[in-house]
Amino acid sequence: MEGMEQWKVQVENWSSQLRELLHQFLQHVHQIPPAQLYAAIAVLSLTTLFLLSIRLFRRKKSNTIVLTGQGGSGKTVLFYQLRDGSSHLGTVTSMEPNEGTFILHSEASKKGKIRPVHVIDVPGHSRLMPKLDEVLPLAAGLVFVVDALDFLRNCRAASEYLYDILTNASVVKKKIPVLILCNKTDKVSAHTKEFIRKQLEKELDKLRASRSAISAADIANDFTLGIPGEAFAFTQCQNRVTVAEASGLTGEIAQVEEFIREHVKP
Amino acid sequence: MLEQLLIFTRGGLILWTCKEIGNALKGSPIDTLIRSCLLEERSGAASFNYDAPGAAYTLKWTFHNELGLVFVAVYQRILHLLYVDDLLSMVKREFAKIYDPKRTVYHEFDETFKQLKMEAEARAEELKKSKPVGKPVSNGKRQGHGQKGGYDGGNKDRSEGGLANDGGDGDGEGEGHKMGNGYANGNHIGAKDSKMTAVVKGKENTSSNNGAFDVNKLQKLRSKGGKKTDTVDNKVPKVDTKKKITKKNRVWDDKPPPTKLDFTQTVDGKGNGNDNVHDVEEVHGESMMDIEEVVSSESESEEDEEVGKESKLDAKKKGWFSSMFQSIAGKANLEKADLEPALKALKDRLMTKNVAEEIAEKLCESVSASLEGKKLASFTRVSSTVQAAMEEALVRILTPRRSIDILRDVHAAKEQNKPYVVVFVGVNGVGKSTNLAKVAYWLLQHKVSVMMAACDTFRSGAVEQLRTHARRLQIPIFEKGYEKDPAIVAKEAIQEAVRNGSDVVLVDTAGRMQDNEPLMRALSKLVNLNNPDLVLFVGEALVGNDAVDQLSKFNQKLADLSTSPSPRLIDGILLTKFDTIDDKVGAALSMVYVSGAPVMFVGCGQSYTDLKKLNVKSIVKTLLA
Repeated sequence: MEGMEQWKVQVENWSSQLRELLHQFLQHVHQIPPAQLYAAIAVLSLTTLFLLSIRLFRRKKSNTIVLTGQGGSGKTVLFYQLRDGSSHLGTVTSMEPNEGTFILHSEASKKGKIRPVHVIDVPGHSRLMPKLDEVLPLAAGLVFVVDALDFLRNCRAASEYLYDILTNASVVKKKIPVLILCNKTDKVSAHTKEFIRKQLEKELDKLRASRSAISAADIANDFTLGIPGEAFAFTQCQNRVTVAEASGLTGEIAQVEEFIREHVKP
Repeated sequence: MLEQLLIFTRGGLILWTCKEIGNALKGSPIDTLIRSCLLEERSGAASFNYDAPGAAYTLKWTFHNELGLVFVAVYQRILHLLYVDDLLSMVKREFAKIYDPKRTVYHEFDETFKQLKMEAEARAEELKKSKPVGKPVSNGKRQGHGQKGGYDGGNKDRSEGGLANDGGDGDGEGEGHKMGNGYANGNHIGAKDSKMTAVVKGKENTSSNNGAFDVNKLQKLRSKGGKKTDTVDNKVPKVDTKKKITKKNRVWDDKPPPTKLDFTQTVDGKGNGNDNVHDVEEVHGESMMDIEEVVSSESESEEDEEVGKESKLDAKKKGWFSSMFQSIAGKANLEKADLEPALKALKDRLMTKNVAEEIAEKLCESVSASLEGKKLASFTRVSSTVQAAMEEALVRILTPRRSIDILRDVHAAKEQNKPYVVVFVGVNGVGKSTNLAKVAYWLLQHKVSVMMAACDTFRSGAVEQLRTHARRLQIPIFEKGYEKDPAIVAKEAIQEAVRNGSDVVLVDTAGRMQDNEPLMRALSKLVNLNNPDLVLFVGEALVGNDAVDQLSKFNQKLADLSTSPSPRLIDGILLTKFDTIDDKVGAALSMVYVSGAPVMFVGCGQSYTDLKKLNVKSIVKTLLA
């Protein structure tokens, strides 16, 4: 009880001190001419607005490019080609995403200020799929890498992966452009991009049927793909889907760079 | 000789390889290691075996978690290189000194490595001289038979056969083999037999009791129960008086009553309607596979009290101030000793949730391996860091490796004008037939024509039970009575399905104990002869440690007894009796971890609609709650 009493006295002391301070402050304010006061307030609010708008502006124009696709399709090589212009000693299956903010290697020699690109290479192993959901909301563009050499064997798995991406909530809502990149085209037996596009469209069309049957139980896919009743084509997507070719190993990645610069302005 | 030594980042960029010994590896052992070992939370194991045509490698690895580096050494399996562990740790130490995240080329490390290798070899040589026997680097190395990659748990026993006694394991299995062949036909109890009793019987008398109901034997079977430690060495068959009645041994009465038994009447009363599916649907409603589950998103910040206490205790020892300072500044580097209490608490918690001990242990080792040497972030406790790492690991394990969209596969098979064949396998009384009916019901709702095949030609009443389900669901059933070879029945059923244009054939098989050689052989024959699209293992959610044994033995037997070079293993898991276990959901984790197959369905009740999908998030939450 005694402690409480003491406490109360102390609190009262403090409050009286505070009141005094407030009084002093108000007096001080009254002494300042009102014009100055308004000016100060205006400056303050303007700065906050400015800072806020910068943040909003920044958020809208994200500079993140996400590299995704099945394991073994060559995402990590592509990442290092973009960054360093070389694939170094080669790569093995990634266990963690590679991430970096850099100016593209091919543009390093250019003069003037270039906006760096934030590239994330998400591992393709399906156990690491949840990682993709974390980075998709940030993306300004998405590169879906397909192995053109060993395409037919991986076709179904790849299209399932692509289906999940194209029906992902943030991809649909933000209309994130997707580039389907047929990698390893330096090899002679690689499939052409037209063939791959057609095969993927065909597979996605089938997937659409089976997934919509199961959709009531599947919580992950909230959006349906394409126009019902018509054969699926990538042009039906709300976001832009384009197809390109590249060869990560030999460094022919001009089309990827073009895509990146289209969506992350220099 | 060392075949290869690689240093790469966790992101997958190779930083350095040994050039002089850099002869090309056959196959892709490194990628296989990462995919099937490190990413499957098995990095706690000591080594990994890789088999490729013309090569058999053993891989060893170590992590540098602070820098995010992985060091892998590859060598021929026949050579037991003693210095590899030593070399790896030295390489790790030396490389950490020169590592710079911005650099990608380390040519100067060649020299250092040469020296380190020489040192390590010299030390190994010395060790060999002082101890002529030589302590093997990984003792207890037993290779997985015919499996592509096996795991060596260091001193820990391997999962297959590892539960049995150390020395007697090998020959016990062998004898079980012989005996199993001895009375392959007719004897019901004999067929339920396991290797232990087989051996015991072999020594007692081999010829007697064929087909007779032997009480002695039953008791032995029961006494065997969970104890597998005293296997071969008890030569005199002790007729134990303690009757440890385990569920597994009682075949006949632990089949769950398949829903309501008087189903026939309602359907019969309706007459033969043409629109069968709708009739059935009206009666039962929508299968729960299709009903979205609302997951209550409770606040996930519920910290566990036990772990909290543990770490508090720890903190008290070090003094309040220093621990406070540490929590603000972030601890320098996590060491094994720091992680130990939190991991132990976590392991205990997993085990209270019915996760098999072996699995919990391995998971904790793997989490510990991934955290050791990492920096603790500011304002976090060790326990919460460990918990977060474990949560990530669990989500990774339970996320299916391949698509589990069965309807998609069914449609794909339909295009090729082939029926999609699903074989239900499992031990006795886990609910194979009941859940087969549930799956049939779910498929029917999606306009897929289903046919059942009664290949349980072993247990009395099994065919009748399935026939009741079939009549109830108004779908055709293929049956050939009892005492037929199930493999042949299944084959005929598939032919029949091709004739009448069914999309899916659901094959019911007899329940069998995982140790039962003759029945496992029959199953292997069925699977190999018919090459089904999906081998579904039906397992109870009630099991604890036995889950590991069941699944690994089923997989092992399917692999061993198959004649084809690429044997069919279990593709998916159906978890039954999920409604009876409350929060003890550990069996799901154990089964998925052991087999690597995803949980495709969850049975959660007695009616046809009680079939669900596994909700990974809620399972993980329950496991860690």
